[in-house]
Amino acid sequence: MGEDISRKIELRVSNHKAYVWDVNDLATLRAEHHICGVLTGTLPHLSQQNVFLGVPLVLLPEEVVLLVRKQLAVLVDDPNAHRQPSPSELLRWNAERISSTKIQLAATEAKEAQQRESTRTMSEEAMRKRKQREEKRAAAARAKAIAEGADPDSLPAESPAMEERPNTPPGGVAGGPSAVYAVTVPAESTELEWYSPQSATYTTLEDAKVAGVWSYPSTLHERAKCAVFQDLWEKGHFMGVGIKFGGDFLVYPGDPLRYHSHFVATVHESPEFAIRPMEIVAHGRLGTATKKAHLLCGYDEGKQEVSYYSIEWAGFG
Amino acid sequence: MDDNLEHPHASSKPSLAQDRPPEDDEQSSADEDEGPDWTKLPTVARPIIPKRGEKDFEPKTSGGSGLQRHVLDRARSAMADALRATRTTSSKTISYAVWHPDIARANVTVARGIHFTTMGHSVARASAPGKNDDVKTAKRLELLPEEALYLVERGAMFCWKEIDLYEDPNLEGMDGAPMSVQQAFAEMIGKEDLTLEKYHVYAYLRRLGYVVTRTQPPSDAYPVAAPFKMPPVPRSSIWARCFAVLLSPFRRLLTMLRRRDWWRPVYLGRRLHHNLNNPSLFRALRFLPSGNDAPFRIKRKEEDSPYQIFYNLYKPSTPFKKTSPPAPDFSLVVVNARTTPMPTLAELHDLFEILPEVAPPGPRRRTAQPNKPVPPIEKPQPAANLPLFRRLFSWAYSGVLTPAPTPPRRPNPFAVLKQGKKMVVIAAVDAGTISFFRFGQGAFEDFPMN
Repeated sequence: MGEDISRKIELRVSNHKAYVWDVNDLATLRAEHHICGVLTGTLPHLSQQNVFLGVPLVLLPEEVVLLVRKQLAVLVDDPNAHRQPSPSELLRWNAERISSTKIQLAATEAKEAQQRESTRTMSEEAMRKRKQREEKRAAAARAKAIAEGADPDSLPAESPAMEERPNTPPGGVAGGPSAVYAVTVPAESTELEWYSPQSATYTTLEDAKVAGVWSYPSTLHERAKCAVFQDLWEKGHFMGVGIKFGGDFLVYPGDPLRYHSHFVATVHESPEFAIRPMEIVAHGRLGTATKKAHLLCGYDEGKQEVSYYSIEWAGFG
Repeated sequence: MDDNLEHPHASSKPSLAQDRPPEDDEQSSADEDEGPDWTKLPTVARPIIPKRGEKDFEPKTSGGSGLQRHVLDRARSAMADALRATRTTSSKTISYAVWHPDIARANVTVARGIHFTTMGHSVARASAPGKNDDVKTAKRLELLPEEALYLVERGAMFCWKEIDLYEDPNLEGMDGAPMSVQQAFAEMIGKEDLTLEKYHVYAYLRRLGYVVTRTQPPSDAYPVAAPFKMPPVPRSSIWARCFAVLLSPFRRLLTMLRRRDWWRPVYLGRRLHHNLNNPSLFRALRFLPSGNDAPFRIKRKEEDSPYQIFYNLYKPSTPFKKTSPPAPDFSLVVVNARTTPMPTLAELHDLFEILPEVAPPGPRRRTAQPNKPVPPIEKPQPAANLPLFRRLFSWAYSGVLTPAPTPPRRPNPFAVLKQGKKMVVIAAVDAGTISFFRFGQGAFEDFPMN
């Protein structure tokens, strides 16, 4: 996990969304930087459920802004990082694929041979008996044919032993129609030789914005959200998506894998922002029902400060 | 640990989301916050969904106690192990496709597995133009970006990207440059109106077994459900209409006679009291039109609304034919929760305008009959199918042939009001978190409470 912290994490950006594909990066983000993101991909071996999801990890825009501002990560313009493979690269890729297939087929072959060996003792007797039966039947047929006046030489001889038919030859990729091997769909593009993120990397948000890769935050509300996120993160909290609880963020005291959140935070873009009484009642009600306190976060852009107020039901009567 | 695992079986499959442990009231609200417990996820390829785990309130000071740290590390490494699983599929079950970025379609070259009964559509494309002068068209199976991406993400399909391949015998078996899942995400999203939010919703529902198709056909070759039938306008031949005009006085007389309650021929109460019961009185007093059919006058904004129906949704149990999809079970709107405000009245009105009325909820059954589908309302036989004679004299038949139908039991108004007359599902996606909302059009004018 903490192999090389100084290495910046590559956030692969396409369509103004930032993804993390590397599981090591994902673990580093979580353990070292307290950034969780949202797993959104289908888990390959559990593909019919939505409780556990896999890579890619999609980051909240606020998380991206924080990571790049803190120089912990860089942005990669992903569509441009996939360049056209050259002929030699394609040749190498295909050769590797074929050789991996061959290795797999050979392994299967060896395994099957071993299995045959183990079952031979069982079936040998049965095979011998069947062979005897077939020979007897063939001999009877020939005797009958000779009796009817046919030339014994033109008749087919006994067929060679059937059980010696060769098993799947490990010849080519195809390896016979019955050869089964595993095909792997590569998850990360780093497995492809022609993936070159270096040419499309942006280290600051400004550069990425000029290049049209990343534009968040662009409004006052978005800036306020980034400021609130960063402030709470710097205080040591883990942050999650709050939409299921009617807020912008959930504020966790530790890793959300193990701990419940304490606050539902809503971001208000200026200290003079009007809040209707109805909202206070709604937030108080929902927060109490879910054992959380509601956090009103006001951002003052002039002073670059965030102030917090929490709502809880007082519980009289 | 194994006793915490439960084997999902076919009968409870659709309600996977409800398979979580039955929460007592104290826990129920906190359960969405209760993340999945990755340590209980088996690493072997076994289709077992573990129950959600317990969480602590907060870490002890100074970064948690030893036990807390141990449990957290275990959870993290279990999660990382599960995420490292590769997409490895047998060569006998994997499909192949070629992604054409210029037309935003993936052409399936090898189709295997059950997915293609509900995904992909066939398109006639000119095959190999330029080689010969006579361009031949051939039908081929093509996938929309979300369909291709979903199959690649599942590991069920290997996708090549269309490039000019060099003639080389060593490149045998390749149809282009191999694509990783990451590349598919980078290149397929953003094509053909597909956003990441829409893809998330698509994949979420596909993983649950729903069939998802586009509402607006992206091309002419894409089969879509027939547009919803609006209240049918009876169409009859000109002669029938002439006859109808001629016969209408007689018909009116007959209906009057028939409406008469012959069991109480001298019932005059209504006439005497000048219809002075409450409903009719209120009706007489009303001077503003009410109900959803009343014309809607609100100045609407000119710009395009984000609330457009994007997906048609079919339950796994609905018989689905790819070439002629039936009417959808649900219509789905996908919006980005970060940028889209609540739908306005005008937007909802526009949505409901194109949607059909849903069948009223069936009476609640006392006996335990799980998942009994609501019987579809019987459609009245369209008049055009009847013989001419019967069509002309339908007034005479109506009383004779249909033996006084028992009046249908009045449905529970509250169930109907809650369900609404028309229904649309809106999926609000905030950075990968999907919330589904159901908007119903309340039919309060149908159930006056007096």
